[in-house]
Amino acid sequence: MKRGRSAAGLTALVLAAAVLFAACARTQEKKTKIVVFAAASMTEAMDVIKDLYEQEQPEITIDCNYDSSGTLKTQIQEGAVCDVFISAAQKQMNQLDAAADPAVNTENLDFVLQGSRKDLLQNTVVLAVPEGNPRSVSSFDRLADLLESKDIFLAMGNSDVPVGQYTQLILAYYGLDEMALANDGLITYGSNVKEVTSQIAEGSVDCGVVYGTDAYSAGLAWTDTATPDMLNGTAVVYPAAVIKTGESPAEAQAFLDYLSGPEAMAVFERIGFVPAA
Amino acid sequence: MNTDWFPFWNSLRIAAVSCVLVFFLGVCLAYYAARLPAWLKGALDGLLTLPLVLPPTVSGYLLLMVFGLRRPLGMLLARWGIRFVMTWYGGVLTASVVALPLMYRTARGAFESFDETLAYAGQTLGLSDAWIFWRIRMPVCRQGILSGVVLSFARALGEYGATSMLIGYTPNRTATIATTVYQLWRTNDETGALFWVMVNLGISLAVLLSLSLLEARRKSEGKK
Repeated sequence: MKRGRSAAGLTALVLAAAVLFAACARTQEKKTKIVVFAAASMTEAMDVIKDLYEQEQPEITIDCNYDSSGTLKTQIQEGAVCDVFISAAQKQMNQLDAAADPAVNTENLDFVLQGSRKDLLQNTVVLAVPEGNPRSVSSFDRLADLLESKDIFLAMGNSDVPVGQYTQLILAYYGLDEMALANDGLITYGSNVKEVTSQIAEGSVDCGVVYGTDAYSAGLAWTDTATPDMLNGTAVVYPAAVIKTGESPAEAQAFLDYLSGPEAMAVFERIGFVPAA
Repeated sequence: MNTDWFPFWNSLRIAAVSCVLVFFLGVCLAYYAARLPAWLKGALDGLLTLPLVLPPTVSGYLLLMVFGLRRPLGMLLARWGIRFVMTWYGGVLTASVVALPLMYRTARGAFESFDETLAYAGQTLGLSDAWIFWRIRMPVCRQGILSGVVLSFARALGEYGATSMLIGYTPNRTATIATTVYQLWRTNDETGALFWVMVNLGISLAVLLSLSLLEARRKSEGKK
C-alpha cells in the first residue's frame, strides 16, 4: 500500500517535471534572439529602444552588449555571435567590411553583410566639466591655453576609443603635441568613454572631452562643442550593419530598419544624438 | 625602442611603500587580534580579509566612494592638500588595502603557532612587553612574517582593478606596469605591451623565487 502510493507520487513528479520542461523548451523555441553590439555611448538610448521593440514584436528578444567600438570589433573578429553592430566611428566598421578600402581593412575581414550597412546617427564632441566648473574651463580655446601653460588636468579616451581619436584631432587643430602633454602628466587616458565621464563626474580631473550623449546621460555640464573645423571636417557618424556571425539576419535587418524609423529616432534625439546627414 | 621607465619606478615605489605600511599595520592587527574576545576577533577577521575575496573593482568603487573628491572625507583631505585620486600615493592606498589581508593572515598564523611559554619565560625575567615582542616573538615568527611581506609585495605590485579606478592611467604621473600593459594592448602597441609583460614576469618570478627560498630555509631550520 505504502509502496504503491510512493510509486504513484514519483510518477506524478516525473510527469510534472516533464510538462514543465516541455513548456520551457517551447517558449524558448518561439523567441528569436537578436544580439546587438553597440558603442558604449548608446547604452541609455538602446536600453529604451530594446524595450519598445520587444513590446512591439513579442516574438523577438534583444541582447545588447555595450563596450568601446574597438573592443566590440575585436570580439566580432574573434567570432562572437553578433547580429547588428553599431560603431561609434567608421574606422571599426571599415575594419570588418570587405567593401572598405584595404588600407583600412588591413586583415581583409569580411563580417559585414553587404547592402545592410548605413550611417545611422551623428554625435557631438563636447568639453565636459565637473559640477561648478572649478577650473573655469570655458571653451576649447581656453583649454588649449591652459594646456600650453601646463596648468590643467584633462581626461580623454585613448587612441583606441573613437572619442579619443576626435580629441586627438582637436589637440592637433590647436597645434598641441599630445605626446609632450602626456609626458608632462597633463592627460589621463580612459579605455572607454564611460571611464572618462566617471572621472569628470567624480571631479577627479579638471575637464574631459566626451560625446554630447555621454555628458547628457551622466548629467554633466559642458561648456563648448567641437566645430567641424576642430574635427578636421569629419563628423561623428555612427554606422550600423548586419553582421555575418549572427544567427538571424532577416530579423536583424528588420531591427536595423526600425532603428532609423521615427520611434527609435525620437529616443535617440532625446538623448543627444541627431540623425546622420 | 625609446622606453620610458616611469611605470617601472612607479610600480616599485607603490609596492615598496605599501609593503612597509602593510607590514606594520598587519603585524599590529594580528598581534592585538589574538587578544580580542572571540566575537570581536571574528568580526575583525572578516573585515580585514574581505579585500582578499572581493573583486578589485568592488574595492576600487568603495575607495572612490570614500576618497573621491566629491565625497565628504575626500573633500576634507583635499582641503589639507591630500588627494588620493589620480596620484601615485592613491596607488599606495589601493595596493595597501588589497595586500593587507595577506600580511594580516600570515602574521596571525605565525603568532598563533608561537609557543607562549617563551613569552612567559621573558616575563619572569622582568623583560618589557616591547622587548619580548621585538626580540623574542618576531624573531621566532620571522619566516612566517617574511612570507607575508613577500606575498604583500607581490600582490601590491600586481594590483590593477582598484588602482585603475582610483588613480587611472596618466603617463608620468600614475601609470603602473599593470595599467601600462592594458593601455598599450588597447592601443595596439603589441611590442610595448610585451615588453612590460616581460618586465612584470621578471619581477614577479624574482619575488616568488625568494619566497620559495625562504620556505626552503624554514624547512631546513625546522629539521635542525
